[in-house]
Amino acid sequence: MTFTIPNFIPAIPEIFMLVMICVILMTDLFLGKRIKSIAYSLTQLTLIGAFLLTMHQYGMPKVYTFDHMYVLDKLAILSKLAILLVSFFVFLYSREYIGMTKLPRGEYHILGLFAVLGMMVLVSASNFLTLYLGLEVLSLPLYAMVALKRDSGVASEAAMKYFVMGALASGMLLYGLSMLYGVSHSLDFTAVAKVVSETSPAHSLILIFGLVFIIAGIAFKMGAAPFHMWVPDVYDGSPTSVTLFISSAPKIAALIMAYRLLVESAPGLIIQWQHVLMVIAVLSIVLGNVVAIAQSNIKRMLAYSSIAHMGYMLLGIIAGTKAGYASSLFYVFTYSMMSMGAFAMLLMMSKSGFEAENIEDLQGLNSRNPWYALMMLLIMFSMAGIPPAVGFFAKLGVLEAVINANMTWLAIVALIFAIVGAYYYLRVVKVMYFDDPKDATAVTAPMDMRIAITINGLAVIALGLFPSALIGLCRNVFFG
Amino acid sequence: MHQDSVLHNLSLTMVLAPLLGAIVAGFFGKVIGKTWTHRVTILLLMVSFACAIYIAKLLILDGMPSYNGVIYTWADVGKYQFNVGFLIDRLTAVMGITVTFVSLLVHIYSIGYMAEDDGYQRFFSYISLFTFMMLMLITANNLLQLYFGWEGVGLVSYLLIGFWFHRETANFGSLKAFIANRVGDMGFLLGIAAIMTYFGTIDYSTIFADAGNFTQTTITVLPGVHWNLITVVCLLLFIGAMGKSAQMPLHVWLPESMEGPTPISALIHAATMVTAGVFMVARMSPLFELSQVALTTVLIIGAVGALFTGILGVIQSDIKRVVAYSTLSQLGYMMVGLGASAFSAGIFHLMTHASFKALLFLSAGSVIIGMHHDQDMRNMGNIRKYMPITYVAFLVGALSLSAIPPFAGFYSKDAIIDAVHLSTIPGAHFAYICVVLGAFVTALYSFRAFFMTFHTKERMSEGLRKNLKESPWVVWVPLVILVVPSIILGAMIAGPMLYDPHSILGNSVYTAPQYDVLKIMAGHWHGAWSAVAESIYTPAFWMSIAGVAVAWLSYIVFPRLPNFVTRRFSWVYYILDRKYGFDDFNQIIFARGTVGLGKALFKYADLKLIDDYMVNGSGRGIEWFSRTLRKTQSGYLYDYAFAMILGLLVFLLWLLLG
Amino acid sequence: MDLLVEQIIFFAFAGMTVLAGAVVVAVRNPVHSVLALVVAFVASAGLWLLLEAEFLALVLIFVYVGAVMTLFLFVVMMLNIRELPSREGFVRFLPLALFALAAIVAMMVFVIGPQHFGLAQYAIPAHHGADYSNIRELGLVLYTHDVYPFELAAVLLLIAIIAAISLSFRGRRVGTRSQVPSAQIAVKSADRIRIIKMASEPKVKR
Repeated sequence: MTFTIPNFIPAIPEIFMLVMICVILMTDLFLGKRIKSIAYSLTQLTLIGAFLLTMHQYGMPKVYTFDHMYVLDKLAILSKLAILLVSFFVFLYSREYIGMTKLPRGEYHILGLFAVLGMMVLVSASNFLTLYLGLEVLSLPLYAMVALKRDSGVASEAAMKYFVMGALASGMLLYGLSMLYGVSHSLDFTAVAKVVSETSPAHSLILIFGLVFIIAGIAFKMGAAPFHMWVPDVYDGSPTSVTLFISSAPKIAALIMAYRLLVESAPGLIIQWQHVLMVIAVLSIVLGNVVAIAQSNIKRMLAYSSIAHMGYMLLGIIAGTKAGYASSLFYVFTYSMMSMGAFAMLLMMSKSGFEAENIEDLQGLNSRNPWYALMMLLIMFSMAGIPPAVGFFAKLGVLEAVINANMTWLAIVALIFAIVGAYYYLRVVKVMYFDDPKDATAVTAPMDMRIAITINGLAVIALGLFPSALIGLCRNVFFG
Repeated sequence: MHQDSVLHNLSLTMVLAPLLGAIVAGFFGKVIGKTWTHRVTILLLMVSFACAIYIAKLLILDGMPSYNGVIYTWADVGKYQFNVGFLIDRLTAVMGITVTFVSLLVHIYSIGYMAEDDGYQRFFSYISLFTFMMLMLITANNLLQLYFGWEGVGLVSYLLIGFWFHRETANFGSLKAFIANRVGDMGFLLGIAAIMTYFGTIDYSTIFADAGNFTQTTITVLPGVHWNLITVVCLLLFIGAMGKSAQMPLHVWLPESMEGPTPISALIHAATMVTAGVFMVARMSPLFELSQVALTTVLIIGAVGALFTGILGVIQSDIKRVVAYSTLSQLGYMMVGLGASAFSAGIFHLMTHASFKALLFLSAGSVIIGMHHDQDMRNMGNIRKYMPITYVAFLVGALSLSAIPPFAGFYSKDAIIDAVHLSTIPGAHFAYICVVLGAFVTALYSFRAFFMTFHTKERMSEGLRKNLKESPWVVWVPLVILVVPSIILGAMIAGPMLYDPHSILGNSVYTAPQYDVLKIMAGHWHGAWSAVAESIYTPAFWMSIAGVAVAWLSYIVFPRLPNFVTRRFSWVYYILDRKYGFDDFNQIIFARGTVGLGKALFKYADLKLIDDYMVNGSGRGIEWFSRTLRKTQSGYLYDYAFAMILGLLVFLLWLLLG
Repeated sequence: MDLLVEQIIFFAFAGMTVLAGAVVVAVRNPVHSVLALVVAFVASAGLWLLLEAEFLALVLIFVYVGAVMTLFLFVVMMLNIRELPSREGFVRFLPLALFALAAIVAMMVFVIGPQHFGLAQYAIPAHHGADYSNIRELGLVLYTHDVYPFELAAVLLLIAIIAAISLSFRGRRVGTRSQVPSAQIAVKSADRIRIIKMASEPKVKR
């Protein structure tokens, strides 16, 4: 038997992350008591380091390593960069909140980093096995993070639900993958894709059977209807900083997972997955937008809004074209940015002993801090898809993709419910600007958070005014 | 390449300088104080004006080819490209000079007019921003940027109409402007969408190049109804122009807009923004020339507006409203010019109108300053004694507006009337009658206002009369400057503008050979002075003279005549006073009608249909459904898991068996 | 081995696994539940043996049955839960759930049945000879071909440890007795035994 040492270079960012996680684990154990901020600082350093290492890989040709189990292509690099960047902001926003709510700092950051590592593994997977392991490395820390607030019954309940449902979804995903494996005798995406394309329609029944299970797993991870049930409860029950995390970077990973599983490994079943995804997308858009209107809790409202957004994001995949995939990628990047900003605003409004979680809590924000109100306004406009905020381009892109794929009815449904959705985003704006605050004290936050939320809010508008660069990056992934 | 970069840099400077001014005045106005605010904005506008002049020199005098370039690609979405780009041709150059010139004077004038106002910096920021938007509009090389400028000027216009937002009428006026413009914009947007769908681009050059291929294309609006694509597109675009350029029946907002400060009325609601529709139609001339239906529509709507809104001007007693109705009427003239395919004549009238109408408004503003913001002419009289400079300025404006040779207005209006006379487009005869009668009306209301304000006896209160004096120099200097073009602009450029084979606008507007009336007219053109001499043979000239004469007779010689006429023909007066009922119509049909419809719907649809049938019938079904839905969102884990499995099952059944 | 015999063994073990799985969920007494789980593991170990994965089969029994299940039993017994409260939703949803179950099972049978997944489409894998060593094969790939997923699995275990500790460890409470290893190591012989010199019992002077 011959064996060559695999090429470790492409996986340098992941290896760096893992090493640093172990370092932080040890450092926090021995120094955590004395230097309170050590876990946070090292975490941010790790993310920056991994970002730079990934940046260094940018523009490298597509390369496989670890026996074709790990792939480093443009998609992987770009989404890793986005994930790392978003995670950096997430931890920055959470710092104050973690201290305030007395969550265990060390564990929080280590688990968070593990989740980031899981996302990186997931987006670089080129094999069912590594994809699944990446998914679990991503999910397991998230379950634990939801439950980190141990004295809160709601948080424990949310974590329990998330965990059990996640296990069920993992089971479904694995079952579906095993069907594909059974037919193709391979776990490798390209090999499976080859077999799937060559299978005659008469024998493809078993593939379709497996496909449905796989889609169920994907839809669960995204939080798309009808596999969305966990989303409102988990968003609501988790500590806000964890909600912030769950609602941002993992969405990117979920989209890449969908792309790898459906487009890369089952292109021969495009008709079938298009059909199922269409139903999922329409259900998500309708349900998300309609139910969000009735919410008075802003975390739940944003949860339903995220369900709707996932529906929109799927439209690009449904189109089944390169332009469509690019528009989905653009959508998820911008969505994670907006979602992050919105939850960050809730974090900043929270004080010790008080969690901002109802829409009422934003009343009169304009008079309490006009700048934050403006940033929130930009983010809400963007989520509603009002030009010139970036959300407009995100929606325009996916809608154009489905129209070009001759699915105009889908675009019309999506558009109608986008207008319905605009209502509840604008209600937030109305509450901030036209209602009188119940608590008139000024809202303040540390300098780094203020800078971050400013960058976040202005990026929403700047990317809307100059979207070409990011759109170009996303298109380059699929066309270049 | 070198020439291009010169034009590129010049136009970029021209457009961005006012924006910089707006930013400085808007964000740092309080910091740098009033004086520096107007210094900075005026200086930047001078830069912009200088650029505009230099661009015009390069293009028109030096014959440099026009520049069409992309500044920045905003978004590249699939097959559509959204660009920010400049098309700098002769039309743009002419418009650029007009806009920056009037804007510069209004800036200077505002130093005096707004001196006492609290929102001084805000005001300067707005008017600079307006100039930027207007320049974006005229320099656009694609429809999207045109639309951006279009909405931008609209936005600033509402802000400025409602500038004195504590006035109830100001808010109402701004709302009215907003709603009337929404109707127009809807048409405009649909027009852009139609172009985007069928031409696959929003770039002018590509649209014009392809337009010939679509002359036979029809679109099915309703099943069985096929309309010519170009006609539909042109009509939709023209609806947009009707909103912005206040053509009947979307004109109702313009008189209300007089609630804004007077410099704004001069800049936005006379000289620049309201002419955006005229500019757009001229810009789109390659499309309009392909559709006779569209040209006829432009012609008829313009002509009706020119005559009938002019008549309304005769009975107004508010000095600004007189000028406002006169603007409506003159906009009608411009549209008539465009409809008769004399695009150069329309744009020419736009330019002369910009100078003499700005002059009239600013003179009126000067009077209003003197009168301490009383705008009612019935309280004025004999002001010539106290404000000689304003008096002369207003007189020049009125003469120019009334098309008395050799003032500027004469050349442009005469050209339009001639063009309509020669035009073979259906409806031209009707339009001709309207514009000739309009000439009489124009002279009548201008000189009525002139006599009532500056002659006759003083009717103002004694206290006011004592303090009546000429306005400060920052106010009258712009008047004096504006007097110059109001007199000589016509004689100076009428020849090169209209009749030269290589006219000023050159190929930036397109006229189909069969409609080219200006070419015929060029044969009769023997220079500016012989035009004056020949004018006595035209009916329009005598109409104008008659108008002045009637005004003189009824307000100076027989001051009781107007009262007598009003009483004798009270029904006419009533119709005019109700403004032909447009406002009442809108109020009753749209405002009350909507409420009525709502009530009726509530009574019959809601109570009967929904309550009786829907709620009691399928209501139980809905209730059951919502109960079931609530149960699945129970918060219980097994419910959630079960929902997942059910979803999975449905998909499986569908794909495997379906 | 004869195919028929192999089939009999397979169905016996497979049936046992499914049945035991059902019992795990159905019985009320948690101790019985854990015991049923033990049966399920043993039966699946049998299935693995059938697939010539002897090493995995044995590990399953050693680790899961021998260690994990014993731990479960300890926990269940220590918590002293006799019977779980009845699950109200269980009965309410039973008809619908049974229908869904039947539908999914029917579809599985339909799809994975011989007409789609039978020997006609997919050849029967060849049996290995007597010299085939499962352990050797595993050993060969674990650190070579599969090193990446193997390491990831290790990461997963690390996460599980950290998560479990961070969720259950609530810091040292006052009054609990625990070892102090440093103190244990630092101990000197002198600390272990204290020699008390005592004067021998004086002679009684009589």
